[in-house]
Amino acid sequence: MKRLVLDAEGLVQPVCSKTHIAYSFHLAKPGGKLWIDFAYEPKNLEDRERSRELIAAGVEKYTEPAQRELVMDRWESFLPLKNLITVSVDDPARHRGAGHRHDPEQLLQLGEEEASPGFVSGELIEGLWRVTLSLHAIVTDDCRYRLRIHHEEA
Amino acid sequence: MRWTACELHSHTFHSDGRQSLLELAEGAKSLGFECVALTDHNTMTGLENKERVESDTGMTIISGMEWTTFYGHMVTIGLTAFVDWRPAGPGDIDAGIARVHAAGGIAGMAHPFRIGSPMCTGCFWEFEISDWNALDYIEVWSGTFPSIKTDNARAFRLWTEKLNEGYRIAATSGRDWHAQDRTEEPVSVTYLLLDDSKDGVTERAVRALAAGRAAVTMGPLVTLELRSETGVFGIGACVPAQDRSTGYEAVATIDFGAREGKWAFPDAGYTLALTSNLGVIGEADASEEQTEYGFDIPGDGLLWVRAELKGTVRGVRTTIAFTNAIYADSDQA
Ligand SMILES: [Zn+2]
Ligand SMILES: [Zn+2]
Repeated sequence: MKRLVLDAEGLVQPVCSKTHIAYSFHLAKPGGKLWIDFAYEPKNLEDRERSRELIAAGVEKYTEPAQRELVMDRWESFLPLKNLITVSVDDPARHRGAGHRHDPEQLLQLGEEEASPGFVSGELIEGLWRVTLSLHAIVTDDCRYRLRIHHEEA
Repeated sequence: MRWTACELHSHTFHSDGRQSLLELAEGAKSLGFECVALTDHNTMTGLENKERVESDTGMTIISGMEWTTFYGHMVTIGLTAFVDWRPAGPGDIDAGIARVHAAGGIAGMAHPFRIGSPMCTGCFWEFEISDWNALDYIEVWSGTFPSIKTDNARAFRLWTEKLNEGYRIAATSGRDWHAQDRTEEPVSVTYLLLDDSKDGVTERAVRALAAGRAAVTMGPLVTLELRSETGVFGIGACVPAQDRSTGYEAVATIDFGAREGKWAFPDAGYTLALTSNLGVIGEADASEEQTEYGFDIPGDGLLWVRAELKGTVRGVRTTIAFTNAIYADSDQA
């Protein structure tokens, strides 16, 4: 039986770039499998003008003056600018891995024998678990995410 | 002691790579590497079948992880346990490096000048470092055909500045290899000089890099030695204050047979230079016909010296190889 243990939605803005949002939840019974269904949208910033401004600001900040014109000549090579949120998991005793990848929809599983790439398999223990969303970049005015966690009991 | 060809920066599908560890190891082997460090973003689960991949391919896999933080990417190798990157704010990297060391690993700046947010958050190094000696290495060459890239030139300059300030930091290359895409571009290798102890290759490779026994190249392997009346000093070594001399014989060796058949720079018109805190202190033309090149170099005021091999590659005059530094303790010690 799959039991819903967490169901959350949120709305984040560019100022939330470089922040973490952590959800803690209690796993009442050991064993079984954890299903983490995570999605966010939009993925890309579609506004070309806004993209160009952000790229120009990044180029100004991170490249040397002599390079800027050359880099801006090919500013479109940086398109599309993307939101990036990654998921990591900690059980009551240890770190259980992370999925640093660009997919805006991920169905992750953690179980005794198997886990999704990036995540650590092993027995699920009873206690307070934590799922952390790491907001590496939010480039759109709004970005909506949904996090739903099920415990498939043994 | 033996020079071992290493790739020090790579990813699998356990983060955002598009290859398995086996595909990575096979691909590296076919390019003449003997050793690969797996440095997936913020996870170490790609190492799960490390032993099997090692025995299937004969390659050595060094465990590692790329701290993919908001303020910089830091490659960490040699540790087997996860060290948490998430608590690292802009002023916390000294503590982060200390935690990596406590876990038995070493830490290097990855591609420090790659363009940052919002194109690639954390790709540009923004952490404040207060103790540069704690940092083990700087990845001064990132990607394929690294010597011609402006971001890498900037990283190479940073390394030279830090050497001039008296810090002892190693320099490496890393492909930041994500997939088995074919490339026609030259591939860079970091050679590490492994000691003869009975420890595993991983331990010896990490020890070599921590000690600065590294040489980086897109082709021939260039190494360097300083000879004085009291001894011979290799790459990464330091001439102690009491053994300082007013001059040294520096001998650079070029092994054109390194990774034979895996690279070719026809009509390169090689030149070899000895660079130091005193500027260029030796120069010579080089060619396949000659292996050893001797220079008399000054000892007064010398803090560090390295060899650089330049040549023409794909029509561009560029650095093909460089050694890590040999150091001298200051006279006032
Ligand atoms: Zn990186
Ligand atoms: Zn990387």
